[in-house]
Amino acid sequence: MPTTLENWNPGKAEDRHPEMTYAEKERLFLEVKSDPRYNDFLYGCYECGICVSTCPSARFYDYSPRVIAQAMAREDVERIYDIISEDIWNCAQCFSCVRCPRQNNPGGLVTLLREVAVKNGLQETKDVLQGYSRVIYKVMLKGNQVSPDMLQPDFFPDWGPWVAGFSANMQVWRKAIPVDTLRGVTDAAWRTDRKTLLELYTIWFETGNMEIIKEIDEGLHDLLADVMQEELEEG
Amino acid sequence: MTKKILVIGGGPAGLEAARSAAELGGEVILLEKRERLGGTPDREGYAKLTHHWRDASEAMAELAAAVTSNKNVEVKYQAEVKEISGSAGAFNVKIEAGGKAESFDAGAVIVATGFQHFDPGRATQYYNYYSFPDVITLTDLEKMLKEHKVVRPSNGEAPKKIAFIQCVGSRDRQIGNEYCSKVCCGIASKQAIEIREQLPDSKVMIFYIDMRMYGYWEPEIYWKAQEQHKVNYVKGVISEVLKKGDQLLIRGEDTTMSRPMEVLMDMVVLSVGMEPSAGTRAVAQLAGVEQNKYGFINAGGASGLDPSATSKAGVFVAGAASGPSDLDDSIAQAGLAAARAVASLRN
Amino acid sequence: MTEMTTVEEILERKSHSVIRDAEVAPTHDIREALYELEAKGEIIVQRVPENHVEVTTKYGRTKKIPIDHTWHHKSCGQCGHIPGYTSSIFWLHRQFGLDYIDPTDQTSCTGWNYYASATSNAAAQAAVMSRNFAAAYETGYFPMIHCGTSYGHYKEIREQLVHRKELRDEVRRILDKLGKPLVIPEEIVHYSEWVHVMRKKFAERQTVSFAPITATVHPACHYYKIVAEDAIYDPEIYGGQRTATVTATLEALGINVADYSTWFDCCGFGFRHILVQRDFTRSFSTLRKIEVMKNEVNPDLTVTHDTGCVTTLDKSQFSAKAHDRNVGIPVLSDAQVAALAMGAHPFRVVQFHWHSTDWRPFLDKLGIDWKKYWDEFQGDLDAIRAGTKSGITWEDADKPVIYG
Repeated sequence: MPTTLENWNPGKAEDRHPEMTYAEKERLFLEVKSDPRYNDFLYGCYECGICVSTCPSARFYDYSPRVIAQAMAREDVERIYDIISEDIWNCAQCFSCVRCPRQNNPGGLVTLLREVAVKNGLQETKDVLQGYSRVIYKVMLKGNQVSPDMLQPDFFPDWGPWVAGFSANMQVWRKAIPVDTLRGVTDAAWRTDRKTLLELYTIWFETGNMEIIKEIDEGLHDLLADVMQEELEEG
Repeated sequence: MTKKILVIGGGPAGLEAARSAAELGGEVILLEKRERLGGTPDREGYAKLTHHWRDASEAMAELAAAVTSNKNVEVKYQAEVKEISGSAGAFNVKIEAGGKAESFDAGAVIVATGFQHFDPGRATQYYNYYSFPDVITLTDLEKMLKEHKVVRPSNGEAPKKIAFIQCVGSRDRQIGNEYCSKVCCGIASKQAIEIREQLPDSKVMIFYIDMRMYGYWEPEIYWKAQEQHKVNYVKGVISEVLKKGDQLLIRGEDTTMSRPMEVLMDMVVLSVGMEPSAGTRAVAQLAGVEQNKYGFINAGGASGLDPSATSKAGVFVAGAASGPSDLDDSIAQAGLAAARAVASLRN
Repeated sequence: MTEMTTVEEILERKSHSVIRDAEVAPTHDIREALYELEAKGEIIVQRVPENHVEVTTKYGRTKKIPIDHTWHHKSCGQCGHIPGYTSSIFWLHRQFGLDYIDPTDQTSCTGWNYYASATSNAAAQAAVMSRNFAAAYETGYFPMIHCGTSYGHYKEIREQLVHRKELRDEVRRILDKLGKPLVIPEEIVHYSEWVHVMRKKFAERQTVSFAPITATVHPACHYYKIVAEDAIYDPEIYGGQRTATVTATLEALGINVADYSTWFDCCGFGFRHILVQRDFTRSFSTLRKIEVMKNEVNPDLTVTHDTGCVTTLDKSQFSAKAHDRNVGIPVLSDAQVAALAMGAHPFRVVQFHWHSTDWRPFLDKLGIDWKKYWDEFQGDLDAIRAGTKSGITWEDADKPVIYG
């Protein structure tokens, strides 16, 4: 979008996302506000800064849980849209911010904002989660993940030469574990009953979790839904 | 109906209530659980009061003398109330004074049992009071100021950089003490000025959420601290105090600059708030008066406009037993309680 | 009696610990709410088994920690790539002949779906938790949570279930389809709380002296920051001002625990960050935690009690070293430290070979001939490759092998 005299100041929230109407931005905010947990997570804010002080992301990113709490309390729709489209993915979900003396939960607000971002398939969210689909696949299908077979040197090169050593020896190292449910298992973290997985799939379908996945990655959804439905039919 | 008025507590509120009631013609029994009068300012060795920079010992001694020299006030030391029965005009009170059990009647009771300071170990934030010698409270500092010997407890040397942390134990839903303790901003600023006077090379910073500077405190304490004594006020309260080398590292957000901050300090002073004292909790139960959810005695009466009235006729409250109070509050409330108590026995 | 100086008075006052009085606890005891719901027939509250120990939590309340008869809710990251952490937890149980179940009827908490990507919702997360708790209840064994994040997450879900009827009804509807009851355990227990109450028993059987070891503790955010009141606080540890879990265990094992100026900082795990935005994780963990520990204390070891923290602190140091940062502290869980203290095999049980940051100097300092145990372990691996051994079993690993 070309820079003009009217929009040259990057400090104006309403100018940063001209593709979105105010009504759309407001709708997203109201969706967050209508979550039953909203009032558990947001009380008043007296801007003491404790949340920012304890926040790891505040030290590395231009990110402030206090600004998020304030923006939500003020119902500043434009600023909140900024937050939901970019800032929320900086949060490390450590919940250090619940040391808030007013008992606000900025990390919890971020979780609600993320849920709405995902449910509405916001493009920035899809972009952020693009590299994450492998993990979602594993946890949805296996009920656990960061499975041994994910430890590939191309996925974790910065974890050191150890990873290459492991992936070359994966089969044998996984057999060399005395824990019965782990021994020999490489495609999941532990051996899970089939019935357990069917129960898990039922939960995913019944709670609308599959619909959520569909918003983010339709291909991933279809792949998962096919496998799960087949398994469920087999019973 | 007896004309005796029982005042429980010999701190500023109790002393004022006893003196005023006696001057208005009442016969007063004053119970004090310590062996001397003066209450918390005396016990904690307060140096200067925020009021006109008066020396606390002098001021308390004056209040006490006005009581001990008044022939209509009987003071009992090392006295604790064990039972209160009866009703307005005819209470029966059982006490233990100096190890002896005693019993007497009173027409009215004024509860002036005061407050205690918040235990800093219970703070939601991690200030490590019980772990680091150089993390102290307002009362610890008050004693050192009185002796003109402000030093770091770790090494006995004068501190160069001192931080005050406001709202410790107050305004906090997670502790339950949601209220503001009223006096700590004034006290911390007063102490900051005293430090700057006693240690001219020092740098003092106060980390706050809001600065409570009512009425004349604004120019007399706040502006004076900033302008004459160069005390730095930073809006952003501290979340943790850690040890780094032989100094203390404090962490917070400098909200003005909108970024996390970490500063090294020699000494950290915690502005601990007020809570109902053990005496207030006990006597409230014994007197059968309503307490609020924080344990302070509910004052206000039916109209809400009588700060000395409790939920029970004939029982009055004065001072910090009813909630965070500064000396002006306590003394004014005590005077009102005395007047009401005396009046209640005239009819 | 000589009067104390003011400074002496101040120091005397500070030599005590904070007094926590459950009478003035600011929150309602959630267990009361659980019993009330049970009385109304809405949920089943699984009671802590008879063989348990009581500890105190942040507001002075007591919490029951089961000793045995436990159902182990495993951690996916842990079992996936730090299996020595899991095998140490079980090995410790086995040393005392404690009765436990290692279930296959268990899914992870699936918190990854929630905290990392928000590709889930409250009902799904609550249903997953409830399904796991029902599975435990069906065996009669009490759930013990291995992961700090699962523990924190489940505590949060417990609050939501207790306070929101619609969520309870929705979860019950789904559980009915699965033929399972809605069960909430009386306490949500983290395995490190079990390690904490067992610590003196471990010390009694300690064969490896940790006297030369200085260690730093990294307490897991999700253990003590989420539902902060439900964590162990002990007046003898940090004056009762910080959670006692992990520190008390290390002290019981004779380790010199050293403080550092970023004790309360998160490790930088970040959930999603550690997988797909690792510049944040490795920067934060090395610059804010490891380097600070190294510069201020130079410990032989750092110990934590959560899967994510072990992963983050251990795996981030390699790339930081490539940038000449001052790193190089081996990372272990409290369970692995306790197992090693009692002489567990470094590779069959503690499984050091899965750790990235070099642990050899640490074992050298303990005077443990790790090369000997490595050769033994290589022998196991060769036999597995050759097909003469199907794998390592408890029979191979149960017996302590290091005698100091």
